[in-house]
Amino acid sequence: MRQMIIRRLLQTIPLLFFVSIVCFAMIKLAPGDPVLSFVTPNMHADDIERIRHNLGLDRPAYIQYLLWLKQLLQGDLGYSLVNHQPVLGQIIDRLPATAGLMGSAILIAVLLAIPLGLIAGANRNRWIDKIINLIAYIGISVPLFWLAILLIYIFAIKLSLLPSMGMRTIGEESIGDVLRHGILPCSVLAFGFLAGYVRYIRSSTIGQLKEDYVQIQYAFGSNKWTILFRHVIKHVLLPIITLLGMSMGDLVAGAIVTETVFSWPGIGSLGMTAVRGMDYPIIMGITLFSSLLLILGNLAADILYAIVDPRMKVKG
Amino acid sequence: MSTKFKGLVIAMLFTVLLAACSGNSGGSTAATSTGSSTADSGAPKDGGSLIIGVAADPVILNPLYAGDRVSLTIDQALYAPLFQVNNGKKTFYLAESLEPSADQLTYTLKLKKNLTWHDGQKLTADDVVFTINSILDEKQNSFLRAGFIINNKPVQVSKVDDLTVAFKLPQVSPAFEASLVQVSPIPKHIFEGETDLEKSSKNNNPVGSGPFKFKEYKTGEYVTLDRFDQYFGGKPHLDRVTYRIAKDANAANLALQNGEINVQYLDPRDVATIQATGNFDIQSYSEGRLAYLLFNEKSDTGVLAKKEVRQAIGYALNRQELIQTAYTSDQYADPAHSFETPDGLYQTNDVPTYDNDVEKAKQILAQQGISNLKLRMIVQSGNKVQEAVSLYVQQKLKEIGVDVELQNMDSTAFGQKFVDGKATDYELALSGYIMGYDPDAYRILFATGSSSNYTHYSNPQVDKLFEQGSGEGDTTKRAEIYKQLQTIIAEDAPIYPIAYTKTIVAISKNYGGLDQAVLKPVVIFEDLSKIYQKQ
Repeated sequence: MRQMIIRRLLQTIPLLFFVSIVCFAMIKLAPGDPVLSFVTPNMHADDIERIRHNLGLDRPAYIQYLLWLKQLLQGDLGYSLVNHQPVLGQIIDRLPATAGLMGSAILIAVLLAIPLGLIAGANRNRWIDKIINLIAYIGISVPLFWLAILLIYIFAIKLSLLPSMGMRTIGEESIGDVLRHGILPCSVLAFGFLAGYVRYIRSSTIGQLKEDYVQIQYAFGSNKWTILFRHVIKHVLLPIITLLGMSMGDLVAGAIVTETVFSWPGIGSLGMTAVRGMDYPIIMGITLFSSLLLILGNLAADILYAIVDPRMKVKG
Repeated sequence: MSTKFKGLVIAMLFTVLLAACSGNSGGSTAATSTGSSTADSGAPKDGGSLIIGVAADPVILNPLYAGDRVSLTIDQALYAPLFQVNNGKKTFYLAESLEPSADQLTYTLKLKKNLTWHDGQKLTADDVVFTINSILDEKQNSFLRAGFIINNKPVQVSKVDDLTVAFKLPQVSPAFEASLVQVSPIPKHIFEGETDLEKSSKNNNPVGSGPFKFKEYKTGEYVTLDRFDQYFGGKPHLDRVTYRIAKDANAANLALQNGEINVQYLDPRDVATIQATGNFDIQSYSEGRLAYLLFNEKSDTGVLAKKEVRQAIGYALNRQELIQTAYTSDQYADPAHSFETPDGLYQTNDVPTYDNDVEKAKQILAQQGISNLKLRMIVQSGNKVQEAVSLYVQQKLKEIGVDVELQNMDSTAFGQKFVDGKATDYELALSGYIMGYDPDAYRILFATGSSSNYTHYSNPQVDKLFEQGSGEGDTTKRAEIYKQLQTIIAEDAPIYPIAYTKTIVAISKNYGGLDQAVLKPVVIFEDLSKIYQKQ
């Protein structure tokens, strides 16, 4: 077990290295020029060239990458090309907003998805299954930005119950205020995650119900709900671990569209601005962070699997 | 999925959609309660706050580096300028006067007395000299540098006394005032000794001299400014101004209706919705911008090198229809004939124009012996105005037998191709520019081989006139030169001017003092201290 963890952790390094090369290459291959975001028509060509030179953008791409890598190995993610603030600081500034929003959305989605998925699976093709399925299909097919605008319209404008945007009322610092602002974006994201999770749990429930242990419980005369919520649930929870492991990347990458619509000050909206301005140090920083969490999340999921399910023997 | 089930899904989706639509139409009446307007009466009141919606985080709160709309807007309240110019009229802010010497080679700037920075320190000639020298310093990367280099020689700035600064110009340059108007001084006592002003952490806690001082900035959320009581223009009416970052235009409009934003730019398409609430003053004003169709004379086919062909294309188009297509109404755009915008010095729209005469267009092409003409037009995909206009151009040119191939590309690719002087694989593109009020600024667009001459237009007479105009001290002669330039360039048609566009701003009826604050391109309000909250 320990060997496995060490090996996996060591594998992370070349993996991240690979991710960073691919990401950097994609940014450099894409059309566009970061300097263009500073250029005004009244600027002289030699002033533009000087800025390009001062930012190191006149060097070949591989040199730029190597310089970036050298910096990274010294623990420095560099500076934004646009506002010249340290990348790490900007990510850390926005991390709580994104982690809080995504964390609660994922948690709510999982807590709702488990009972819904179990009920749907146990009542396959009956009306309740169809309703739950319908909700899941809507969640998958409705664009989240549209749902967001709809919810803002209903709850903020028509009913005046909730604020339409931002993370707090200006000047207010209370947690309650942040929670109030979080309700709408969190609901939208939770709905999006929920749809996927429910489909997952439903199909795994259907599979479990065919297992021998379920038949035995029936033979003992156990109630259907007891079987479902006491026995089947334990087996169904296993794939949830994997799902959660895979969501770890989202936890820091944030949700670009939803954060933008709600003006949520998270990493998603930081990323969007960076992509528009070709601000590669920021894009690289966010990509590295989320890849790292995704990889670690998967590792954690595998370890948990081994602990929870004795049938899974992890080979060292 | 069974067909019955599919039917159910579709039925459900329809109900959701219907609910959304019906909600929209009824929305205007329900929302009015929050900000009902009171009668505009009596003297301006003190107190209250204002929330201005902005589309992005400010890049940098330092006027030497602010190039983006949001930073410029916030800096306008934080940092007072020396003076401003509106429709040729000069308003002095920090400066009391600006006088050129008889030979026009020295400008003497006098500051007002008792000016203070937000931290209480005195604002003096030292700060102005420090600011100009920082702009001139190559290591500091300021945008404004080019304006202080005249014919490759820098302007020399020196302190005469605590309230007087002298600028020595290497040669006569009437455009110098247009460079100085962009300068808002930064405090020497804060920034002195910083090696890189742009990266300086001092920018996170800006100290200015404008009507409002910095309170706090929450990344991705808002920037708050508080009233500065010692503002030289008199104590501002509002206690607080907040710039709220709302990146999604639809969501921002909802927040506007909800009272979470009080001032916000509007797209022409959204005007009707916001107007229907009855809670907003909708103001449109010229932003000194020209929207135009560019003719690339150096494309690999070379077909647009002949001015007759460019004129024929002009004849094939109809400016009024173009404006309707692009801006939904001629209320938000004035037809343009001259390359210079109406806010500029010596501007005249009374110049030759080639417009709306299909027969003439066909005739010219026939005279030139041109048939089966093919043109390529680059279009920013996702840009609704460009997409609509490009389809219109394609359709109109078809009428004169010209085939237009539309090449859609994303905005960065478009931008790069557009500014790349060597791109030869397109003939037509839509663009716009804001060049300021001094016509010398247009030289880089139309003089042979200039940095921003994207049309590759070249006319020795034009080059000579621009050269003369930049160094001509006599106003009457200078006016004559630029009138002549506008005529020649209009005749040569390197671009097809479409419209002088307007900015549309919605302002909650709860606020007054708009006339005194002066609506201004890019920054919304020239002097925010004059805005007050009613009630």
